[in-house]
Amino acid sequence: MITPELIQALLWGVAYGCIYILLATGLNIIFGVMKLVNFAHGQLLMIGAYIAFTVATVFGLNAYLAILVAMGAVALIGIGVERFTFRKVLGTDKLNEIFVSLGLIYVFENAAVLLWGHTARQIPSPLQGLQLSIGEGLEINDRLLAIVIVIVILVSLFLLLKKTKIGLAMRATSQKSTASMLMGVNIEKVYVFTFALGAALAGASGALYGIIFNFSPTIGALPTIKAFAIIIIGGLGSIPGAIIGGLLYGIAENTAVYFLGGVWRDAIAFALLIIVLVIRPTGIFGEKGE
Amino acid sequence: MNQTLINSLGSIKRKIVNFSRSQKFYLILAAMAIVVILPPFLSNYVVSEVLTPMLIFAIYASSWNLLASSGQGSLGHAAFLGIGGFVSALIAIKLGIPPIIALFLGSLLSSAIGFLIGLTCVRLKAWFLAMVTFGFSVIIVTIFSELDDFTGAIMGFPTPLIVDRGLPFYYMSFAFAAISILAMYLVMKSKIGLAFKAIHQNELEAKMVGINTGKYRLIAFVISTFFAGLAGGLFAQSIRYIHVSVFDPYYSFLPLMMCVIGGLGTIEGPIIGSAIIVTIDSYLPRIDDALHGLVGSIFPAVSNVGPPLRTLGLGLFLLVIVIFAPKGVTPLIKKTYNYLRNSLKEEKSK
Repeated sequence: MITPELIQALLWGVAYGCIYILLATGLNIIFGVMKLVNFAHGQLLMIGAYIAFTVATVFGLNAYLAILVAMGAVALIGIGVERFTFRKVLGTDKLNEIFVSLGLIYVFENAAVLLWGHTARQIPSPLQGLQLSIGEGLEINDRLLAIVIVIVILVSLFLLLKKTKIGLAMRATSQKSTASMLMGVNIEKVYVFTFALGAALAGASGALYGIIFNFSPTIGALPTIKAFAIIIIGGLGSIPGAIIGGLLYGIAENTAVYFLGGVWRDAIAFALLIIVLVIRPTGIFGEKGE
Repeated sequence: MNQTLINSLGSIKRKIVNFSRSQKFYLILAAMAIVVILPPFLSNYVVSEVLTPMLIFAIYASSWNLLASSGQGSLGHAAFLGIGGFVSALIAIKLGIPPIIALFLGSLLSSAIGFLIGLTCVRLKAWFLAMVTFGFSVIIVTIFSELDDFTGAIMGFPTPLIVDRGLPFYYMSFAFAAISILAMYLVMKSKIGLAFKAIHQNELEAKMVGINTGKYRLIAFVISTFFAGLAGGLFAQSIRYIHVSVFDPYYSFLPLMMCVIGGLGTIEGPIIGSAIIVTIDSYLPRIDDALHGLVGSIFPAVSNVGPPLRTLGLGLFLLVIVIFAPKGVTPLIKKTYNYLRNSLKEEKSK
């Protein structure tokens, strides 16, 4: 039963999961602090991939340094999005947030088509053509590096949330926004920062996605849903939950593809999501019911 | 249950009597007369490519609107459009049943699947429901494509028609649209519709005053998916050739956009929204070449800037409507109408 191919599928699953963990964590932070679900989050991933692609090909920057550029640029876009769209509808009907996200999806996807065209792209990796073997059967490749980068980003995120003042303010706001407002937290600033942070994570995951996979302007929709599945599996608002959920999800998807075939890839994502929602609506690590 | 039914029927009867005396009634009567009398004088293209889709999408958008009026925003309604379309066509072809009966059987099956999906969805809040309905639509399209030997979904096939395309089909769609929208109107104005509204505003409070929220949300699902299936059956006939692309997310987002632009939660909103979007879709492509000549040189990456630029505009339009006119364009039309009427009255009194 256990074949090298299956192990390969598992490893792929972990790498795959890592990219989704970044995306899901961003979505989760925004949800935790702002109680807002940004359905256009996957489109930020797509924009991040294109920005990294442009920086890497036009300016010849190392693809892994381009990740930082993508994070910064997508964070700026995130600030604009929060300021001009979501802030206007926050606290009104929940359906309005879904409508705004849908409008943003249309805007981002078509802006990407206009700027970069329909052609599938891939960010040229600096590791291309290199054979860096470390021990038997193991070699450094983009997937392994992606796992390392995701770990680094998650550790820095953890430090940001636990050790800095803005992190404290974010945690306070996520618990009770009115009380933290009374304690002198500038809620609007926290919201902008949170959205920019979530967007930056999406930008980073986009750059990693672009190094490993082909991408085109329409790739954003499925990652959003998968990230959503992951935070539901892991539990809303829980970052460790998102990490474990992401790993579980990546592995489940890739082994399922291995056993059942590629056409089921996306349907499996949803089947998993629906099963979790039916059996345990609060997620595996979720604390309180939503 | 019996008592509530009698009460709802009573309230429906009262509403009809009141309504038939109101001015709105005559307005609608006049609009209907125009819609019935005008088409024979229009070109075949306008009737079958613009007016008929408008009616079908008015049913489809109204079904979405009914579900949204209970606070449940579906992002996977294309699943029911597709089920209605495919099943009614398949039944008619494989079992040799008259297409009109197949149309109803397709809608019933869509409604049955809507019931099953609703069972999982009624416990979920806005975002989860949106995701899960989207998820179900992906699962259903996967099933339809996997069972290609039976469904023929990937290659597609011509659909059997109830009546000829053109004017006869237009009048049939009109009859279906009028009956369906009236039915949904009556539901939304009845006690059931009141429960939907209460659930939409605050589910917890609705529960506290004794509304069985799960039951009513499920009712919304069943009614909405029935009419979405009906619209799907008609749509499959109007485009003549059904194909797996009917499950495209585009068709899931379409009714949402129509409702938001026309006015969510109102009966006229989806109709106006459908009229606006279908008109845009049928007439705007004609400016593609002009657009390309105008700004094509700025965006060298695309061969034709028309379609993405138009969709981008649609997205911006949606954002502007949601942020600045959350009730859609209907209040604007009403205001203009009242303004015109008042100024007309002043003219007379002078």
